[in-house]
Amino acid sequence: MATAMTGRGIPFLRTLTGQLHSRLLAVGGGAQPSSCFHASASLESKNWDKRNLKLYPPQLPDEPRRPAEIHHCRRQIKYSKDKMWYLAKMIRGMSIDQAIAQLEFNDKKGAKIMKEVLLEAQEMAVRNHNVEYKSNLYVAESFSGKGKYIKQIRYHGKGMFGIMDKVNCHYFVKLVEGTPPKPEEKTSLDQAKEYVQSLKNRTIIHSL
Amino acid sequence: MAMPMRRTLLALHRVTCHTMKNAEASLDVRRPLPMVVPVRTKKRYFIPAPPGVKGKNVENPEAKAKAAGLTFRQEYAERPINIACSVGIFDPYIPPEGDARLSTLSKEGLKQRSEQIRQSAASKLAIRKIKEYDSEFTTKQFPEFAQDIFVGAHSALTQFNKEKLHSLVTERCYPEMTRGNRYKTIRWRFVESLEPPRVVHARCTDMVTKGNLYGQVTLRMHSRQTLAVYDRFGRLMLGSEEEPKDVLEYLVFERHIVNPYGRWRLHGKIIPAWSPPKDAIIKTVMIPGPELKPGQEFDALNYQVPKPAAVQWNQ
Repeated sequence: MATAMTGRGIPFLRTLTGQLHSRLLAVGGGAQPSSCFHASASLESKNWDKRNLKLYPPQLPDEPRRPAEIHHCRRQIKYSKDKMWYLAKMIRGMSIDQAIAQLEFNDKKGAKIMKEVLLEAQEMAVRNHNVEYKSNLYVAESFSGKGKYIKQIRYHGKGMFGIMDKVNCHYFVKLVEGTPPKPEEKTSLDQAKEYVQSLKNRTIIHSL
Repeated sequence: MAMPMRRTLLALHRVTCHTMKNAEASLDVRRPLPMVVPVRTKKRYFIPAPPGVKGKNVENPEAKAKAAGLTFRQEYAERPINIACSVGIFDPYIPPEGDARLSTLSKEGLKQRSEQIRQSAASKLAIRKIKEYDSEFTTKQFPEFAQDIFVGAHSALTQFNKEKLHSLVTERCYPEMTRGNRYKTIRWRFVESLEPPRVVHARCTDMVTKGNLYGQVTLRMHSRQTLAVYDRFGRLMLGSEEEPKDVLEYLVFERHIVNPYGRWRLHGKIIPAWSPPKDAIIKTVMIPGPELKPGQEFDALNYQVPKPAAVQWNQ
């Protein structure tokens, strides 16, 4: 690749980059300003809370009943996001009663906070989002994110220092009405069969 | 990385000096300012405060800000009051029992009749007062006009057209109509009117100062309507779209009479004590149970759910 570049010379490269740049500007800035540019979320936008404000049109009587979805979060929890992740992964897919029970008897600090968040979300669901039975909910999504850190100095010997981060995390949970979906159980025989099938499906493309 | 930067900086400096000397030599130009090139340093995350600042507290931050030139606007501890509508319904109309059915000559009915006669005198006075200020007001034309306002207000509620709703409904009635409805879909239809609406009650009172008149007129309306409320996910919460229901309503319309730009707007509803209970919502709701002493058991079979007292509700 290097030889190819030097062979043609640097002016060719410059024209290439110039063309690309001008094309990007023309396409990106002209017709659709948001399609080509990556729009990152600003500091103040709280998208998770906005998901609760989405209004669906009324359903026709023959359509299956749409399950209610409740999004809830707690910001700036004084806990590490990596430690919170373990608990979040644990309750993914559980029914809400089971999740609350598991968190109640878990020894971690984040478990108590998570249990509060789940109870708040359950209360919100029954009161504001027209959920009929408070036990008829399950945890569809649950994850933790990084909050704003406060930096401090940690003093070491010999005049050395380290920057200490005071960690904070956010916790997000989405409850959906209904029974929790059963995880698909695959027997070893099924897996073996699939493997053999994938070997049989191999073919050579663009051949005679 | 520092070495090539320094070299280029030196080269730049030499070039600029050279050019400057040339320029000065050729033309009579005043000396330009020396060029300042920013040099990138490593970002410092923590800069320790200078010694001596720790103990001192700022004595008078307000005085310092004033000296610096920053002035704040005077903060008023005020609360806005709305004078376009009044707070409640004055002297609410007590609808006689059995209004929807044929009139019954019970003792209570006679009492209510006598009250009605007393009330009707005050109503006539009020109507006369309203006609003083508003020449176009008549008891014959007003019911139709009021019904149009009612239908318009409810259709604006279905579309959630805030401006139209504010013009047809007073500020007191607006939150009662729209509370909790922002993330719900409401489908309402006025099928027909079973009886021609008529004015049953009118009151005209002054608020705060004498002469600041507010007129309230109660309208009796018997009509057929359909109502269906869907929640945020499009599921039916209440009512049905096909089945129309007969509704007997007592609507209160208000106007700030003294104000030349005042308009008759829907102010509230009166729900009489004898009205039949409303339809239940399509949902099972938990109600709090009785308070039990420790050791006492809850007897589900013999427990009767306490019914709310039948009282007239002015809304």
